[in-house]
Amino acid sequence: MSLTAQKMPNRRLETPSHGTIAKERFVLMNAGPTQPRPANQHLRRNPPIAGEQEAIDNARNGDARAFETLYAMHKRRVYSLCLRMLGNVAEAEDLTQEAFLQLYRKIGTFRGDSAFSTWLHRLAVNVVLMHLRRKGLPQVSLEETLEPSQDDGPRKDIGARDLTLSGSIDRVTLERAIENLPPGYRLVFVLHDVEGYEHNEIAEMLDCSIGNSKSQLHKARMKLRDLLRTGQRKEQIA
Amino acid sequence: MIVLRAPEKTMTCAEFQEKLPELFESQAGLDGHDHLKSCENCAALVRDLEYIASQARLLLPIHDPGPAVWENIQQAIRQEPGPAVPGPRK
Repeated sequence: MSLTAQKMPNRRLETPSHGTIAKERFVLMNAGPTQPRPANQHLRRNPPIAGEQEAIDNARNGDARAFETLYAMHKRRVYSLCLRMLGNVAEAEDLTQEAFLQLYRKIGTFRGDSAFSTWLHRLAVNVVLMHLRRKGLPQVSLEETLEPSQDDGPRKDIGARDLTLSGSIDRVTLERAIENLPPGYRLVFVLHDVEGYEHNEIAEMLDCSIGNSKSQLHKARMKLRDLLRTGQRKEQIA
Repeated sequence: MIVLRAPEKTMTCAEFQEKLPELFESQAGLDGHDHLKSCENCAALVRDLEYIASQARLLLPIHDPGPAVWENIQQAIRQEPGPAVPGPRK
């Protein structure tokens, strides 16, 4: 039996309302997040953290201990985001460091229009994207993402009934499969399905069309399905 | 006289899968879609893709950076203009 015939309502992070923002401003120049719209429906992922507001206020006034407190509160989320987007521990640690340095420099610009964690999260996404841009973006969008191979096209043998995933994925297996996604697919999948960004936001971040974002997400899910089913086959053989 | 007709096939699997990215994003795109009523393979595919997306939403941040990250941040901040940070806690 396969699970979840339900639709896929994306739980959404509260994220900035961009309007028209030039890509250079967004990706290359502005590692700080734009000011998000007011907090609303994303409490599950942005629950209030006891002591956070006080730490923010004190850190803005130059309290080093308060900044350390903010690091302790948010390091896991920022690092996990970097690691999932990059798939590389060393790079993820470097960019976590960069994100918190950006936070140190920009915390005075945080206006409190959104949850602090959402604002910091977006700052971290921007840091990662800047890093990938500096590397020339081959990992983000080219080859397998914009020019998919025939393997990515429609297939007639999909959905063989003996190998539906049917509720069999555990977290570790899924994390490992995500790591093995081609980088461009992984980026869109993590931003959309894991982190909850909308296609219009991803399109703006990656400077691609909304249709392209949807297409890459779909290919990423298809590729994940292949990876997961391959894993199941190996387990069955073993 | 009763004329028996084969059910009209409105969409092939390839055509359906071409449209899947858009169908997933549209509010009523997949509920009761004609093709899914008659094609178990594509229905299983849709279930799997929905399942993958639902599981991804459950992934929580579980990874912690190594201690060197904070040490490097502290070191870098000391060189920044602005508030100084204390040394490592004893």
